[in-house]
Amino acid sequence: MSRGVMLMSGGIDSPVAMHYLLRQGHELLAVHLDNRPFTDDSPLSKVVDHLAVLRERYHQPIPLYVLPHGPTQITLMRETDRHVGCVLCRRFMWRSAERIAEREGATFLVTGEALGQVASQTLSNMRNATASVSLPIVRPLIGFDKSEIEAVAKSIGTYEISTRPGICCQAVPDKPATRSNLVQILQEEERIDVDQMIDDCVRKAVIL
Amino acid sequence: MYRKLRLCSSGGGYEAVPDIPRRVDLTRIRVALEADGLRVVDARVMLIAGEDPEVTISQNGRVLFKTSNPSVADRAFGRYLPLIEAATVETTSETGGGR
Repeated sequence: MSRGVMLMSGGIDSPVAMHYLLRQGHELLAVHLDNRPFTDDSPLSKVVDHLAVLRERYHQPIPLYVLPHGPTQITLMRETDRHVGCVLCRRFMWRSAERIAEREGATFLVTGEALGQVASQTLSNMRNATASVSLPIVRPLIGFDKSEIEAVAKSIGTYEISTRPGICCQAVPDKPATRSNLVQILQEEERIDVDQMIDDCVRKAVIL
Repeated sequence: MYRKLRLCSSGGGYEAVPDIPRRVDLTRIRVALEADGLRVVDARVMLIAGEDPEVTISQNGRVLFKTSNPSVADRAFGRYLPLIEAATVETTSETGGGR
């Protein structure tokens, strides 16, 4: 089976998506973009606990790369249009994950996205976010509704972890764009040094 | 005026929201906080400052304290409120989502 990189947020969806691929026998690495100071430390602690559950269940080591994403968010908030902030943020997450995949010899990326759940998960936003990377992206939950995902999360023992109290991402704008335009996204990225930001983020990765 | 502090939707902190939309001068608040020796992250549309509890002050006046202890949040709000009131520059129907 092939090797992939899974984006883990600490939410309900990502451990469920990971569960499906591990069940198929794929080897996975986890990447968590640490959004502090726009969150607290609860997302990271949830990811650590999710992985403990899944490592035990599937007898896989599943290394966790923790990347500092707060500095990227600060630059995006200062320099780019807030309305497309979620798409820009996702593009950085994908690029960072792809960089880890290249380093680790992984051939695909995985996410727990389900169509239409949040602002960043409309079809146009997902397309524009993933236009930043070239590796194939696997979305095991794309057609699931929330109740289905929650039911699986409860059955594998990750739901209670995901629903512990925490701080939601404070960088989410009041009115995030649900239909983004790639031309505008690329224009916004011209305001910032994307490559340098990705380099800084990946260089400071910590493996847990 | 602010509504009473309430637990935020994800349960990890306490937030205060103004009764009427407002706009606060975050630069003024940042300067004041830094003069008090606090570390401040300036993300243009919000400031993140302090420890125990860390506070997020948004341009639209929303304040979030990263603590699950309501007494700690209430005491911290008492400290920050005069600063925020003094930095309120206009009342607006905008909620601070723009560039």
